[in-house]
Amino acid sequence: MSDIGWSVVDVFSRFLENDEREAVRGDLAEAGEDAWHGFVDVLGLIVRRQAALWKSWQPWLAAFGLALPASFLLMGFSVSVSRCYQRAMSAGPELWMLAGYVPLLIGWSWTGGFVVGWLSRRTLWVSGLATCLACVFCLERFRQASLSRLCLLPFVLPAALGVWRGLRTVRIHPGWAVTLAAVVTALAIGMGSSGAWLSNFALTWPAWYIVATGRIRSSS
Amino acid sequence: MLGEFEYLLITAAARLGDQAYGAAIREEIQSATGRPCSIGGLYTTLDRLQSKGFLQTWMGDATAERGGRAKRMVRVTAKGAQAAQDFYHAVTRVSRGVSWAAPRSRS
Repeated sequence: MSDIGWSVVDVFSRFLENDEREAVRGDLAEAGEDAWHGFVDVLGLIVRRQAALWKSWQPWLAAFGLALPASFLLMGFSVSVSRCYQRAMSAGPELWMLAGYVPLLIGWSWTGGFVVGWLSRRTLWVSGLATCLACVFCLERFRQASLSRLCLLPFVLPAALGVWRGLRTVRIHPGWAVTLAAVVTALAIGMGSSGAWLSNFALTWPAWYIVATGRIRSSS
Repeated sequence: MLGEFEYLLITAAARLGDQAYGAAIREEIQSATGRPCSIGGLYTTLDRLQSKGFLQTWMGDATAERGGRAKRMVRVTAKGAQAAQDFYHAVTRVSRGVSWAAPRSRS
């Protein structure tokens, strides 16, 4: 077990921050523990660290208040954009709608991803898992002869870029945040159907969340 | 007021002085209590005590016996020493007169 076991311990240790990983692996080496006890120790520390993170509301909001519901809504909107694209290719007048839908999809996906990355940090894997489960659920059930299943997924790239940016950003310029939120909101009002106000709100609030919290966010 | 494990950790770190770091504190606690001390419990308690200002920690030197890995060194602050002293006095006071607080007879 020893070599393979310690390799497993090393893999799991990557869930810890660099300094802590260094200290813990050194302590285990110094104590002369076997790989199994080392694994149990490292796993115990990871579980405690994760449990501590979930005491705050941010990971819950990111994973189950945003990533999961927004993934379903964005997949639905992605299908609408794909249908619009098909119609635009056959009839010219749909083109202006496509010109509004595409930036709206990008804006909703990017701002949603940004807030998920911003709030999740070290619990991002749960938000990512929630999005993956939503995608698998919809891909399994998607049956449209005229559309590929991939039509569900155009939101993934801008959302991933938003997450990436959200993980690295400490502070946002207020003017930039307000402009982004105003553009997304204007597009949502202009392009969204009146009956879909709830889903429009669910996808637009992250943009205004960035405005509201961008100036007060710490680097923690 | 400190918890039991917090008191053990501060006291072990104080006893070890300049040699106080994760593995040494763990060994000290295990030998004093006769119970296993998990790394998870040790490091999360270190963080909690540090956030309360009872301890300072920093990354120290690497040694060969640790596979070239650095230690997380620990120093008890004056505030931490005071908190440990308060805990000790409280336990001593509350234990007066109880049968198990009597000095152990040497056989």
